[in-house]
Amino acid sequence: MSLIACSKLTKHFGDTPVLRDIDLVVEAGEVVVIVGASGSGKSTLLRCINVLEPITSGTLEVDGKRLGERGTSPRAIRRETGMVFQQFNLFPHMTARENVMLGPRKVRRQGRAEARATADRLLQRVGLLEWADQRPSQLSGGQQQRVAIARALAVNPKVMLFDEPTSALDPELRGEVLQVMQDLAAEGMTMIIVTHEMRFAEAAAHRLIFMDDGRIVHEGHPGTLFANPPSERFSDFLGHVKT
Amino acid sequence: MDFRWDVVWTAMPQMVEGAQLTAQITLLGIGGGMVIGTLCGLIMAFRLPVIHWLVFAYISVIRGTPIVVQAMFIYFALPMAADIALSGFVAASLTLALNAGAYITEIVRGAVQSIDRGLTDAGLALGLSYPQVLVSIVGPLAFRRTIPPLGNQFIISLKDSALFLVIGVAELAQQGEQLTAQTGRALEIWTAVAVFYLAMTFSLAVIMRLIERRMTIL
Ligand SMILES: Nc1ncnc2c1ncn2[C@@H]1O[C@H](COP(=O)(O)OP(=O)(O)O)[C@@H](O)[C@H]1O
Ligand SMILES: [Mg+2]
Repeated sequence: MSLIACSKLTKHFGDTPVLRDIDLVVEAGEVVVIVGASGSGKSTLLRCINVLEPITSGTLEVDGKRLGERGTSPRAIRRETGMVFQQFNLFPHMTARENVMLGPRKVRRQGRAEARATADRLLQRVGLLEWADQRPSQLSGGQQQRVAIARALAVNPKVMLFDEPTSALDPELRGEVLQVMQDLAAEGMTMIIVTHEMRFAEAAAHRLIFMDDGRIVHEGHPGTLFANPPSERFSDFLGHVKT
Repeated sequence: MDFRWDVVWTAMPQMVEGAQLTAQITLLGIGGGMVIGTLCGLIMAFRLPVIHWLVFAYISVIRGTPIVVQAMFIYFALPMAADIALSGFVAASLTLALNAGAYITEIVRGAVQSIDRGLTDAGLALGLSYPQVLVSIVGPLAFRRTIPPLGNQFIISLKDSALFLVIGVAELAQQGEQLTAQTGRALEIWTAVAVFYLAMTFSLAVIMRLIERRMTIL
C-alpha cells in the first residue's frame, strides 16, 4: 500500500487555482524531489499533504488514512508527516533539546526522561548533541536546520516533507544539511523534497517531479530527465537553476 | 515662601490611607483588566465568529469616551438604568478594570498577531493541537512582548485612578483635595500627593523592568 496517495487534488486561494488535478503516489522508502519555478505550487502541495492548508477538492490519503473520513482528523495526518521549513521555524524560547522534546512530550505523550532520551539520540544523529542546551539564536543556520530535522523526526513520522531546506542558507552551510538528508534517504526514510539542489536530486532521488503552473508536468528518473529534457519549459528551468 | 513640613507630617496618616485605597483600586483594576484583556485579546487575535464584533464594540466605546464619563456612567447612571447601585470603591475598581481591559485587549491582540505564523505551522506540523500551540509556543512568546506596553498601561491606570475623586472615593487625590480644604496649604499637600504618586508609579516601573529583564529572550 502506498504511503501517500493524492488523487485529483486541487487547491484554490480564493478564485485563483494554485494546484490543479494533482495525482501523486509515493511508496514507502521512496525519495521524491519536486522542482519547478517559483510560484508553481510546490510549497502549497507540501502544505496540503501536511494539511496545513485545506484542500479544495480531490482526495488525500496518508498511510491508509483518508483525510475527511470519520476518525481521520488533520492532526492524525500531521502526526505521520514531518515537515522541515525553509526558514527553520525553531521555537526561539526553547533550547535545541527542548525544541526536539516538544513533539514527543505533547504528541506521543512520552515522559520527560523518555522524551529527553529521544531528543538526545536525534541530536546525536544530526551531529549536534554538544549544542543541545543552546538556543536557536546561538546556532548557525545550518545547525538550526539540522535541529529542525531532528525535531520533525522526533514524533516518528512515516514520511518527511522538506520545503527548500537549504535555500535560506549560505552556500558553505548547505552541505551539512544535505548530508543529513542523504543519510536519512540511505536509511530508507520516505521523503518528499522541494529543492533547487540538482546535484543532490541526482544523487538521492528515486523520482523527480517537475511542476509548472500548479500541475505535475514531468515525472521520472532524475538522471534520465536531466539527460533528455522532455520539454523546452523544463530545459529552460534547468538552465536557470544551473547558473 | 516657606515650606511648612509640619503640615505634611500632620497630613501623613490621611494621605497614607488615600494611597492605600489608590493601590487597592489600581490592583483590582489592572487585575480585572488583565483577565478581560487576555480573554478579549485572544478573541480578537483569532477573530472568533460573532463574539469578536462584541469585543470590537466594547473597545470602541471605551476608547471613544473619556474615563471620567465612564466612571460617572457606572456610578450615577447605572443605578437609574438598571437598578444596580455600586459603592464608590466597587464602581471605581470596575471602571478601571473595564477601561484597562480595552487597552490590554489591544496589547494582547497585537502581541499574539506579531508572532511569526511559521512557528504555529511548525507546531501544527508536529501534530500539536491549536490549544497546545497556544500554550507552548505562541503564548509564552507573545507574553514577553506584552510586558513593556503592559507596564505603560499599568502606570496610566494608576494615574487615572485619581479622577475617582469625582465619585467621592477617598483615594489619594481626593484626600489631597480634602486636606487642602482643611489646612489651606495647597503647596505642601499637593507636593506630598505628587511624591506619593511618583513613588507608586516608580515602583511599578521597576517591577515591570525586573520582569522584563528575567525574560530577555525575544
Ligand atoms: N496563503 C496564500 N494566499 C494566497 N495565495 C497564495 C498563498 N500561498 C501561496 N499563494 C500563491 O500560490 C502560488 C503558489 O505558491 P507556492 O506554493 O508558494 O509556490 P512555490 O513554492 O512553488 O514557489 C503563488 O502564486 C502564490 O502567490
Ligand atoms: Mg515555495
